[in-house]
Amino acid sequence: MEAAVQALPKRRTQGWAVVAEQELRDLWLGGRGLLLGLGFSVLLSIIAYLTATNQALNFLEQRESVNVTLQVAIAVGSLLALLAAADAISGERERSTLESLLLAPVSRLDLTGGKLAAALSLWLAAFVITIPYVWFLGRGVDLVGDALLVGFFVGTLLAVFLASLGIVISVFASSNRVSLSLSLFLLLAVFTPTQLPSSAQKGWAGEFLLRVNPLTAGEHYVGKIIVNGHSWSEDASWLISPIVAAPTFLALAGFVGARYIRLGRRAAE
Amino acid sequence: MSPRRAGACFAAAAAVALALVGAASAAADDVSVIVHQSRIDTRLGENIVFRAEFANHGSTATGALIAHLNVLSLRQGVEVDPEDWSTHRTRYLGTIAPGATRTITWKVHAINKGRIALYVAVLPQAGDNRPPAIGRTVQLVVAGRDTLNAGGILPLALGVPALLGLITGGMQFARRRR
Repeated sequence: MEAAVQALPKRRTQGWAVVAEQELRDLWLGGRGLLLGLGFSVLLSIIAYLTATNQALNFLEQRESVNVTLQVAIAVGSLLALLAAADAISGERERSTLESLLLAPVSRLDLTGGKLAAALSLWLAAFVITIPYVWFLGRGVDLVGDALLVGFFVGTLLAVFLASLGIVISVFASSNRVSLSLSLFLLLAVFTPTQLPSSAQKGWAGEFLLRVNPLTAGEHYVGKIIVNGHSWSEDASWLISPIVAAPTFLALAGFVGARYIRLGRRAAE
Repeated sequence: MSPRRAGACFAAAAAVALALVGAASAAADDVSVIVHQSRIDTRLGENIVFRAEFANHGSTATGALIAHLNVLSLRQGVEVDPEDWSTHRTRYLGTIAPGATRTITWKVHAINKGRIALYVAVLPQAGDNRPPAIGRTVQLVVAGRDTLNAGGILPLALGVPALLGLITGGMQFARRRR
């Protein structure tokens, strides 16, 4: 019994790793991940080229151009993780491969963990692709190290939050189309405050909206470090919502994955 | 009195009346806007600080006042969006005690190169129709500059996607051969 209890965590870790390995193979050796990475690099190339050469944008300071590039990288990298996660369960269900997956000798929690790890690999790849652009734009102003560190930290929190949200949606969605549409809709909803006029972002209500939304709060924090040169602790209160959202949604994804993954379309029933 | 002479007298009387009305409104205000700078030189993308003093020369406190910074281009064809140049252009000063001054600063971001005019108008918050007091125009001369070194961006902007494209193509090719 004692041996069985001791073996359980080991088996769980292995199950998680096996699923993650298989998912990573499908994603990266299957070519889907590389294609997404290629599209991401084209987007960053356009932004980096415009900020560096366009006369209309050239008033931007180097710090601001690094900030713009890094914020786009964080937003789009998180979006990639969200889309991969939104396809994780509903996609398997729609391709009729969920049954064989559920018959595999791994727990549903392991299954969810492995899928989530694979989705997060897209964010990691996006971050690696971002490094040369940030280095190029930020060289000479002693900014590259801080920008990459804060970008990785905040981006990982946001990617974990969004990928976990994608898993939750995917478990309950009746079809893959619904899962992807709902995920995109939610992503647009959390991005909406960034499009509000600056006057609407001021005042206690505007600031509260920015602070409570993990995406806007995280990007605001990145901007303060990079553009304003603040220390990491100076605006740490802006990190509250990303730091709360990432583990909360991670736990929610684990709970939902372990309890509610069903073969049928109406998963929640 | 000839009609021409009567007209001249009427015009003179009207001018005196207008002057008296103007003096009365100025006396009611007794607020002046003092700007010490007349020209500021800066470069594109940099921030400058614009400072104005509001002095009450009267013997009573003013009503609540509002100061507003205006930004415009002195060259035709250059579009200036003042919101981009300074985000908090309107300031509510409150009242100013007799003989007291109040100093306000605006942070101004140089968005376009060229000759830009900055000036401040101050008016009563009560919204009456008296003309606002206006400070001197400050000429902001913004020199152009390239803040980013564009050299080398093209190889990077083309190189990274090309490298990823090669890896993707190679993987696809290897998979098909298998």
